[in-house]
Parts: sequence; C-alpha cells; structure tokens
Amino acid sequence: MNCRLRSKTFKRVALWALLGAAVVFYGFPYVYLVLTSFKSPGAALEIPPQVWPSHFTFTNYSSVLEQPGIVKAFVNSIVIAVLATAISVLLAVPAAYGVVRYRTRAGRVFVTGALVVRMVPAIAIGVPFVGLMARLHLTDTQLGVALAHITIALPLSIWLMSSFFEATPMELEESARIDGCSRLGALARVIVPITSGGIAVTAVFAFLASWNDFLFALLLTAQRSETVPVMIGNFQTEYGNEWASMTALAVLYSLPVVVATLLFQRKIVSGLTLGAVKG
Amino acid sequence: MVAIETNQPTLVSTRLPVARRRRRRQLQDKQYALLLMLPAAVVLAVLVGWPLVELVKDSLYSGGLLTGQHFAGLSNYRTALSSGEVQASAGRTGLYALIVLPVELIAGFAMALLFKALGDRARVLRTVFIYPLLIAPLVAGLLWQFMLAANYGILNQLLASVGILHNDNSILWLGDPTIALLAVAIPDIWLTTSFVTLVLFAGLQALPSDVYEAAKIDGAGPWQTFYRITVPLLRPVIAVVLVIRLVDAMSAFAVILIETQGGPQQASTTMGLEIYNTFITYGNTGLAAAISVLFMAAMMLIAFIALKTIWRPGGAAR
Repeated sequence: MNCRLRSKTFKRVALWALLGAAVVFYGFPYVYLVLTSFKSPGAALEIPPQVWPSHFTFTNYSSVLEQPGIVKAFVNSIVIAVLATAISVLLAVPAAYGVVRYRTRAGRVFVTGALVVRMVPAIAIGVPFVGLMARLHLTDTQLGVALAHITIALPLSIWLMSSFFEATPMELEESARIDGCSRLGALARVIVPITSGGIAVTAVFAFLASWNDFLFALLLTAQRSETVPVMIGNFQTEYGNEWASMTALAVLYSLPVVVATLLFQRKIVSGLTLGAVKG
Repeated sequence: MVAIETNQPTLVSTRLPVARRRRRRQLQDKQYALLLMLPAAVVLAVLVGWPLVELVKDSLYSGGLLTGQHFAGLSNYRTALSSGEVQASAGRTGLYALIVLPVELIAGFAMALLFKALGDRARVLRTVFIYPLLIAPLVAGLLWQFMLAANYGILNQLLASVGILHNDNSILWLGDPTIALLAVAIPDIWLTTSFVTLVLFAGLQALPSDVYEAAKIDGAGPWQTFYRITVPLLRPVIAVVLVIRLVDAMSAFAVILIETQGGPQQASTTMGLEIYNTFITYGNTGLAAAISVLFMAAMMLIAFIALKTIWRPGGAAR
C-alpha cells in the first residue's frame, strides 16, 4: 500500500515537472522579447546573448515613440479594429440569434456558409480587394482596411455568438414575449443583456483578428492608413538589425493583447474553445 | 458544427416541446429568422463573394493595372500550371504542412492529456499556455528571427551550451536553403500548438467518464485506453482541429514574410508568398489571380477529403 502511494506521488511530481518544463519552454520566447526591449541597443546584439539585461533602460521605448508616424499607426490600428469589431458584432448578434433560436434550414446553410468563408485563404480575397478598393476610391483608407478585416472578423463572430446562444436558455425569450415584449424587444431587452459576457468575448476576438492582421493591411495601405504591423514591417526593412528598438515596438504592439487577456482571462479560454470546436 | 450537436444531444431534446408550441406561427418565425440573418449574409456575400468573382474575372485577363488589360482566356492558368516556380511553391506548401501538422498534433495532444491528468489545479498554467495564441503572427516572426539568428541568436547559444553544437554560430537557421523551411515552421509551431491543446482539452473534458471506468474494470492499460477509447471518441474533434490547422498552415504568410521574405533562394516561398510576389513584386494581377483560384480550389478539395475520411460520419465516432 505504502509503496503504491509513493509511486502515485512520484507520478504526480513527474507530471507537474513535465508541465512546468513545457510552460517555461512556451513562455520563454515572449519573456525574452520583453527583457530584450529593456537592453541597450548594443547589449541586445551581444555575443553570446545574455537573457537578463545587465542594466534596464527605457531608451528603446523613448526612441521608438519618437519615430515619425508611430502615433498615427496606432490610431489607424485602433480605428480600423474598432470599426471592424463594431460592424461584425452588430451583424453577428442578430444573425447568430436567428440561427440558434429558430433552427431553420436557411440558418444551417448560413452557418455552413460562414464556415466555408473561414476556409478561403486571405490572399485570395486580398488580391481582388486591391482593385475593388481602388474602384470605390477607398484605397489607403481606414474604412477600406476595416472592410477587409470584416471578412475575417464576421464569420468568427457568427460562430462564437452561435455557441454562446446555444448555451443560453431560449425559454427566457418565450416568457418575455408572454409578458408583452415584441420579438425584437425580447431580443434587445432580455437576450442581449444575459449574453453580454459572450458578446464582450466576441468583440475581443473580432478586435484581435483585425489588430493582428498583417496581409490585408500590407496590401491595402500606403501612408495615410498604415497600421502598426505594416509599420513594424517597414521598420524591419529599413533598420534591419536594430533589435532593441524593434523588440520595444513589438512589446508596445502586443500590449493591448496582453491586457485584454488579463481582463477577460477565463472568458477568453471558454470563447477560444467554443470558437475553435465550432469554427 | 456537427461536433457540438453530437456532443450535446440533451440541449436539442429539451427544446422540442417549445418548438411544438410555436408551430402555429412557424411560417412567420421562418421569415423573421431570415430577416435577422439577412444583413450579415448580404455583407458576407458582398465582401467575400464580390472579390472572389473579381478574382476569377482577373484570372482570365492578362496585363497589369498600368499596361491595360486584355482578355486572355485560360492562358494564365496554363502559365500557372506549367510554371516550375509555382510547382515548387506548391510542393513547399505541402512540405510545410507536413512539418507543422504532425508536430502540433502530437505535442498538442500530449499537452491536452497532461492538463486533463492534472485537472483544475493547472488552471493558471493553462492560461499561460494559451498566450502565444493571441500574439500576432508578425510578432512571432520577428521574435523567432531574432532568436534563430546565427551569431547573436539564443537558440544556437543554447544548443552550444548543452553540447549539441561545437560552436555557437554553426547553424544558419534562416540563411541555409536546406533548413529554412524548417526554421520558418518553428514560430508557427510555437504559435499554434496551444490551439490544438485547447480544442483537444475541451474535447477530452466532454468525454463521458463511465466509459473510462468500464475500461478500467475490464483491465485496459493506459495505452490501450488511449488508443481504443480516447482517440475514437475524439475523432470528430481531431478532424476539425486538423482541417483548420491544415487550411491555416497552407496559407501561412506573415511569419514567413517577416522572417525570410521567402528566401534564401526561395527556399521558404510557400503559396501565400508566391501569390504575393506575383501580384506585388511582378505586378502580374492575372497570373496572381489564376494561381489564387487554383490554390483555393486545391485547398477546399483537400479540406473536404480530410473531413470526409477522418470524421467518418455515422461511424465509430459515437
């Protein structure tokens, strides 16, 4: 008995050690990125490389923030992401509700269609988008990029919202209707408030889809509506080996992602799971 | 989609009486449901359907935006199919998927089983583990370009300190054409193994525990339990993960563009970069469109076949 207990403890310790190693292996690259951003430009290129900075400095951040166009790039990224998110969520909430609440054949076709759209490679949409935006006089505008981002964010939002509605008891809508609400009133006053957590997570994911996109922004922007990833790309071609500044720029760019994850931690995990299994 | 429906049969059955009660206004309901979906459907049709129609149209014309276009029939397709460069890119795209998918699936599955074994006490580490999933591919590309650098890169340094390498700048990860494709695959593996873990973990959580108890009583070992019970039960989930990852891996773009621009000597040029180069660098819209159409068609076909064969609808899955 005692022997068996000991082998069980041993197994447990081994599993935790394995997990610990995996998490360190997984987390290290990002930690290294952040640490490098606090090194002096010379120290970042030291051979052999040191993980821990010999002294911490903020010069990379101040020099990056002095770059011309950086503020504009952040403003562009935010405006485009907010636009794409707002439109996607506004369209996805009623659509997903219509699919889940009424379970019609049209609804199934619609959801399958959204899945097929998810499978279309972005480059196949991006190439003709360039010509279309030129024809609509939307070349190098925030709206043009936002429209392209909706092609990613909207299908994702539809799938996420459908799974959140699946987990919502639709009987609540019935009782609101009996109490005299109109169908649209019941959706706005009963269903939307109880699924507000799900809507928030959907909005975070729609925002991230736009914020993290590189391909569409690269194809559709020049100077006026250049987003942060495009700017990082240009910075890399221009200043090749200035890794200290580049890591600072990358940290600033990924800050909203880290903050959003911290704020919505548990919800995001469930959202990712639902979105992944379904979409 | 179907994965969720088969996982939650109770959800559907509890709703049946409600459905019966509403039969009176069903026609109205149908129209109302359609009305709710219509705006999103129209926007999707316009923003995705219109570009795709334009894409097919573009593929039938030759000449760039500057020289003026003229109808060229299927000549762009002929050029695309006979181009050695396109064929090589297609081959590299397949190879890239073959490198990335097995590693992600095996490592991701192992991590999912580990999280399942450790239960809820590993919740915090589970969150840490999903972080890469939210990081932009562009940042992952930059970060790994930095870590894979031959001289000041930390990976070579690490390999040297462990004794695998004799000298700490002997592997030119991103400069050697023979291993460049492998090197650009590393950030992808880092970024998305957690996706596989997360989805498979959710699938594991949903499996009925009584089957496992029965297996234990029958004296099944851990390996047998995994192979005979876990894998068959998770089949639909595995199919979905595999197809999503396959499609995404084949259209990989940002990481590779940032790390190597498709080089050296085009050794890491996959289809995404091939189309991008044809379109932007050479300004050949017609050819880029034709390659895109062929690429998309091939991808849909592969995804469809993969879903059909792995999922085995109505088979051993339930």
